[in-house]
Amino acid sequence: ISGSTVIVKVFAITVFICLFRSGVSPLRPICDLRVLEHFIREAQDSEVIMRGCRGGCGAMKSYFVPLTSVDFAFWEHIDVHEQAVEVQTGLSLLVQALSTAMKAVSNSRLASALDNNISNIHSLSQILSTVLPDDSAPASTQSQEVSSLPELLQVQSSFLRGKVRLLLSAAPACQRQNS
Amino acid sequence: YHGIFSLPLAFGGYHLAQLLQDETEHIKCFVEGKDLTCFWEERNNLHHQYTFTYSYENKNKMACAVSSLLASNKTIFFCKLPKTPFFTTLDVQVLRDGRMLYTRSLNAENFLFLDPPRNLTVMSSGKEGQLNVSWLPPPLKYMDDSMIYEVRYAVEGSNMGKVEVVKVSTMLVLLGLQSDTRYKVWVRVKPDGVAYKGYWSAWTEPVFGVTPPSDVDPLIVLLVLFIGLILCLLSLTVILSHHKFLLKKLWPDIPTPEHKFPGLFTVYKGDFKEWMSQNNGSMWGRSVHVYTEELPSLLEVLSEVSRTSHDTSQREEEEEKESESSDSGLTDRWRDPPHAHWLMEQLRALQENPESRCQSSLLQSHDTYVTLNQGDNEQQVDDVFEETLPLQTLFTTTGTSSLSTSHSDLGSLQQSSGSGRLSSQSSFEYPNHTWAPKGPGYAYMAVADSGVSMDYRPMSSSRIAELGRHRMYTNDYKNEICPHKWPLSGQYIKSGSESCTGPVW
Repeated sequence: ISGSTVIVKVFAITVFICLFRSGVSPLRPICDLRVLEHFIREAQDSEVIMRGCRGGCGAMKSYFVPLTSVDFAFWEHIDVHEQAVEVQTGLSLLVQALSTAMKAVSNSRLASALDNNISNIHSLSQILSTVLPDDSAPASTQSQEVSSLPELLQVQSSFLRGKVRLLLSAAPACQRQNS
Repeated sequence: YHGIFSLPLAFGGYHLAQLLQDETEHIKCFVEGKDLTCFWEERNNLHHQYTFTYSYENKNKMACAVSSLLASNKTIFFCKLPKTPFFTTLDVQVLRDGRMLYTRSLNAENFLFLDPPRNLTVMSSGKEGQLNVSWLPPPLKYMDDSMIYEVRYAVEGSNMGKVEVVKVSTMLVLLGLQSDTRYKVWVRVKPDGVAYKGYWSAWTEPVFGVTPPSDVDPLIVLLVLFIGLILCLLSLTVILSHHKFLLKKLWPDIPTPEHKFPGLFTVYKGDFKEWMSQNNGSMWGRSVHVYTEELPSLLEVLSEVSRTSHDTSQREEEEEKESESSDSGLTDRWRDPPHAHWLMEQLRALQENPESRCQSSLLQSHDTYVTLNQGDNEQQVDDVFEETLPLQTLFTTTGTSSLSTSHSDLGSLQQSSGSGRLSSQSSFEYPNHTWAPKGPGYAYMAVADSGVSMDYRPMSSSRIAELGRHRMYTNDYKNEICPHKWPLSGQYIKSGSESCTGPVW
C-alpha cells in the first residue's frame, strides 16, 4: 500500500473528523479518539469474521506480535516518547504479521477485512507521528509469538484498545487546555 | 481489604451479585478500580484447599491469595489480582487440593464494574416541564470519553420510571414532565464497549427535583380578554350601523303596492272607490294604464244572424256553458244552447275560406265593433282604419256573415271576441269604457290582461299585432275556437280541446 494512499486516507480522516465533530472537545481534530475507536471496531469485526470462517481461513502459522499488556501503574511512569516508540514499533510488527496472514487467506471476506485493518494501522502510524514525532531511536522492543490467526487478531485488537489509545489520549499535543 | 465483599449485604456487592447471576462461567470476574477480582461459590461443609493461578503473555503462572466469605448455605471464594494487566488475555485457574477445578481465559478490560456517578444534581431550568440533571463521572483515568450513562426518573411515590441513555456527556435535560411535580432521579454508568467493556454500575442515591408550576401568564389572559372585548364592540358597532340592511336581509319586507296608490290605505282606509273619485283627475293617466288592461272590449252587435243549422252537438253546448271568464266577470252564460252549434257551423265555414274574410272594421279610436253579416259570402267591411285596427277576427255563419272585430292598438290590450249566439242586438263598446254586458243574448268574451288565464269556448280570439299592422287571422278549429295567445299580455287562453295551430302571419 503506497504512502500516498495512506496520506490521502489520513487527510480524508481529518476532513471527516472536522465535518462530524460534536463540538464537545476543544482538541485538535487529529486527537479525536473517534477515529481510533472506528479502527478498533473494524479490528473487532475481523475477529467476528474469523470466528465465523469455515474455509480458507489461513494456515496455522506463527506470527511475531507486540506485547499488549498494560499495567496502569507502570504505564503512567513511562515517558510519553518511550510510549510512542513502543507503539510505533508494535504497529509495524502488526502490519507485517497481518500482511503475511492475508497471503494465506483465501476467504474473500476475511481477506478484505484484513486488508482494511492493515490500511487502518498505516493511518494510525501517520496520525501518531504527527502528534508525537518519535525522534528517539527504536528501542529493543519485546515481542511475543502467537501461533494462529485468531490469536493474531486478538493481539491487534488489544494493542489498539490499550497502548495506542492510551498514548493518543495522553499525548501532550492532545491534552485539553482546561483539564 | 475485600473490596465490595467486605460487606456482603452492601448495596454494591448485592448489586454485583445480582448482575453475575446469569454468568455461566464458574469463575466470575470483575474489575473494580484497576484490579481484577475473581470469585466462585462452593457449598459448605466441605473443607478443601483452593489455589488460584493466572498467567498472560506466555509468562509463568502466578498465584493469588484466596479469601472466603461465609454466606447462609454457601461459601464465596475470591481472589484479587494485585497488578492486573489489561489488554491481554489472562488465563486463570482454580485448583482444589492441587487439582484443576475451573479455568477461564479473559481480558480484564472487558469486565469493568465502575463506581456510580458522583455529585448528582437536579435543578429546575425555569421552563415548564423541564429539569436539568447533571453529575460527575467516577474517578477513573483514561476512561472519561468512553462511558455511557443511564438516567432514570419517576414521579415521587410512583413506580413507573423512564430511562434515558446519555453518551459521554454528563448532563441531561428532562423534557415533557408534569408541571409542579416532585421527581426522583437516579444515574448509573457503564463503559461504552469500544475500548472498555463491563457491567452497569449501581444506581446513585435518588435526588429530588421539582418542576416549575405551569405558567398561565396572567398578562396573556388579560390580553386575550381585552382583544375579545374589542372584537365584540366592533361587531356590535357594525351590526348597529347596518341594522337596517341586515334586517332587510333577515326579515324581508312584504312588498305592498302602497307607493303606487298614495293615500289609498292611509286616508281612505282601502276604499278604492273613494280614492278613485278623489284622485280622478290627477291619476287619470295612471289609472288608464291600470285599467285598460283589465277592461274588456265591448262588442256592438249590429245585426242579427239567423240560425240555420243544428249540427253541433250537445257537447258544444255543454262546453260553452262551462267556459267562463271569471276575472272580468263579464262573460255570460250561454243561454240558448240550440244556437251554439249553429254558430260553430258559421265558424267552420269561415275557416274554410280564411283569406276572403280578411277584414277590419273600423271603429273609433278605442271602439271596436262586431258586425254580423247575413247571407253574404263576402266580407263586409265597415270603415277600415288601418292605423287603428291592427287586426280583426272574422266570424262567418253558414251564410256569409262575418263577424269582425277590431281593436284599438297602441299596445293596449283588449280584445274580446264575441261569438256564440246571437240573439238580440246589443252593442259592445271597446276598452276604455266600462263595459257592461248586455243581456244574455250575446256571448262575449272579455279578456283581462296579464296574469289571467281564462277558458274560452268556441270563441275565436284575435291576436294583437304590432302597431300599424293589420292582420287577419283565423283559427283552426276542430270543434271549437282555439284560443290564442295574447301577445301583449303574454297570456295563454286555454281551451280544453286539443292544441291549435294559428294561421301564419
